[in-house]
Amino acid sequence: MEFFLQQTVNGLTLGSVYALLALGYSMVYGVLKFLNFAHGEVYMFGAFAGYGVLTVLGGPTGLMIPVWLAVTLMFVGAMVVSSGVGVTLERFAYRPLRNASRLAPLISAIGASFFLQAAALLLFSANSRSYSAPTLIPIETGLTIGPINVWAVRVLVIVTAVVLMILLTWWVRSSRAGKAVRAVSFDTEAAAMMGIDVDRVIVVTFLIGSALAGVGGVMVGLVFGRIFHFMGFIAGLKAFTAAVVGGIGSIPGAMLGGLLIGFAEAYTTAYISSTFQNLIVFGLLIAFLLIRPSGILGRPELVKV
Amino acid sequence: MKGNNKVRKQSMWRLAATLLALTLIAAACSPEDAGGTTTSAGETSTTEGETSTTVGETTTTAGEPMVCEATVGFIGPVTGPVAFIGGVQLNWFNYALDTWNEEMGYDFQMVEGDNQFDVAQSATLAQQFLDNSAMVASVGPAGSDQVDAAGAVFEAGDPNFTFISPSSTRSGITAKYTGMFRTVPTDDDQGPTTAAFLVEQGAQNVFMVDDQSSYSVGLADTTQEQLEAANVTVTRESVAQTVTDFSALVGTISDDTDFVYLPWQVAANGQIFANQMAEQSKDAVIFGSDGMDATEFSEPGSYLAAFAPDIAAIEGSVSILEGYLEQYDDTNTFGPPTYAAARVIFEAIDRVCQAGEVPDRANVQAEVRNTDQAETILGSPISFNEDGDLVEGQFFIFQIQEDGTKTLVP
Repeated sequence: MEFFLQQTVNGLTLGSVYALLALGYSMVYGVLKFLNFAHGEVYMFGAFAGYGVLTVLGGPTGLMIPVWLAVTLMFVGAMVVSSGVGVTLERFAYRPLRNASRLAPLISAIGASFFLQAAALLLFSANSRSYSAPTLIPIETGLTIGPINVWAVRVLVIVTAVVLMILLTWWVRSSRAGKAVRAVSFDTEAAAMMGIDVDRVIVVTFLIGSALAGVGGVMVGLVFGRIFHFMGFIAGLKAFTAAVVGGIGSIPGAMLGGLLIGFAEAYTTAYISSTFQNLIVFGLLIAFLLIRPSGILGRPELVKV
Repeated sequence: MKGNNKVRKQSMWRLAATLLALTLIAAACSPEDAGGTTTSAGETSTTEGETSTTVGETTTTAGEPMVCEATVGFIGPVTGPVAFIGGVQLNWFNYALDTWNEEMGYDFQMVEGDNQFDVAQSATLAQQFLDNSAMVASVGPAGSDQVDAAGAVFEAGDPNFTFISPSSTRSGITAKYTGMFRTVPTDDDQGPTTAAFLVEQGAQNVFMVDDQSSYSVGLADTTQEQLEAANVTVTRESVAQTVTDFSALVGTISDDTDFVYLPWQVAANGQIFANQMAEQSKDAVIFGSDGMDATEFSEPGSYLAAFAPDIAAIEGSVSILEGYLEQYDDTNTFGPPTYAAARVIFEAIDRVCQAGEVPDRANVQAEVRNTDQAETILGSPISFNEDGDLVEGQFFIFQIQEDGTKTLVP
């Protein structure tokens, strides 16, 4: 029981990060019908931004302000930088290709991904950075759930992810801007005809999706410690898998897909072998594409004949 | 409509013609070799059809400074997923070159090849280096798979071409390639040393995780074989280097595990593993391979294997390290063997020049084989056996203390 509980917590932590990343994929796909393969790099830049804020504040060993404030500022800094990167990508790499064939922005996204990786390598060098979170928040602190102790940082990651997802869902459903995003995702032309500024809606979508990715980057830095220029590549692929499994274009689907992928990884390692981790995750992707391409919560696309 | 199409077609042809012209101009203006600087003195050292590798002249007149010129290559993963290895290796290579040229008054040149830790790219670079007739030897590649790819090209193209790997540890690889040497001991040295130590410490159960690199898998295989021969139970797992969440894997470590063996190249990952073990109250002691010998891994009580004593503690190496750190921000365990490899080549070339010959691939390789350095940055002598492996390669075991320092385990 203890073993199962521990692996469930592990899966929940990882799944929360994937869910935040997958949200960005889903939001952009919902509005623009294209996959932003540079999203993983946006998350990577967020992680480095969080590290930068931590360093400026004297961390991890000589923090000048309370830990809770430092972590909050790290999240804010990451969101600002990631949003900036995301919006810049949209403006220069995707918008000019909006009326091109569907392949063109996809290729541009892949190119942008490699561009950002190379830029990060030049800016930050190849050396990884460590948040050294145990120095900030000792490993002994946390919640006791039955026979296991859950580190406070993991609790923070899970709670933050849940809160952000709730806030996003509320925003999309209840706010004016959220309604505009839903309208554009439903029918871009009709939304434009109704007076909605489509360009602005797309920018807002990238802004929010990228901000969430930035938060995910800081979370990874806090929980797992190591950030490096190449970290966005695999994380991006897994988040994309999560978005597809949950239902690309669906926000609740992205959340569900992220958690599912997190659990799949944890339980595969726990009960089969770590060697099979990626095999099973990407096997899920193929299985869903074959059996239920719209994903768990996605709606099949209707095509007029 | 037709008129518009015609205008568009003409514009496209003009554009294509312009691009073609620019391409031809660029090709005509590009240098002949692999992209770095070649020999100086205003001479072009390579022309088509030449088989000679003449790169300079030595003078023998007493009192006149000797001119000894050469081009040496470097292949390493300067960018890509393990750029932290190649970046440091390149820095140490450049440091060795700069200090050598300053010390000797020479002007050796280098050509850099970034293989991005990719096998195909390694083969391409090897061919480029071979085609550069000014180049007499090279340092690298880093990984054993990349060495195999480059080695096959070197062997087929010119077995006289010397290449010294500063980090490939796969057993038996040097025997495959005439020109291959290395400045690190092999898995045949590290595996048995590690296994013997663990058995001596009373290990009954060892949890072993490789990081799917050729270095790690080879070392894990050797060590596992030795441990199982000594009736130690080994649980073997595997994770990619890009993984940073080991919590699920840590959860599978049983309570009766004595040691966790991590033959990893990324020390920072080792520290994450250690943190996650502490999170889940796993008491097993971590034993890291030489790839983990870096400041990023500092788990008190853990053990590390290293192919040299701590160079910061070697009297003759301290000044070299200090000089390096004045110019470059970072170093890791992959740096000093690269410096050693470069110096082996430079000193071999110098011996050729001292003998009144012009350095070429054959005579440089002959001198590399004759290498007999009593004092090196690694703290141990460097000479090579008939295969190109170190004669006196050995591993040392250190334990990390509470204050982060390492003490040698006798």
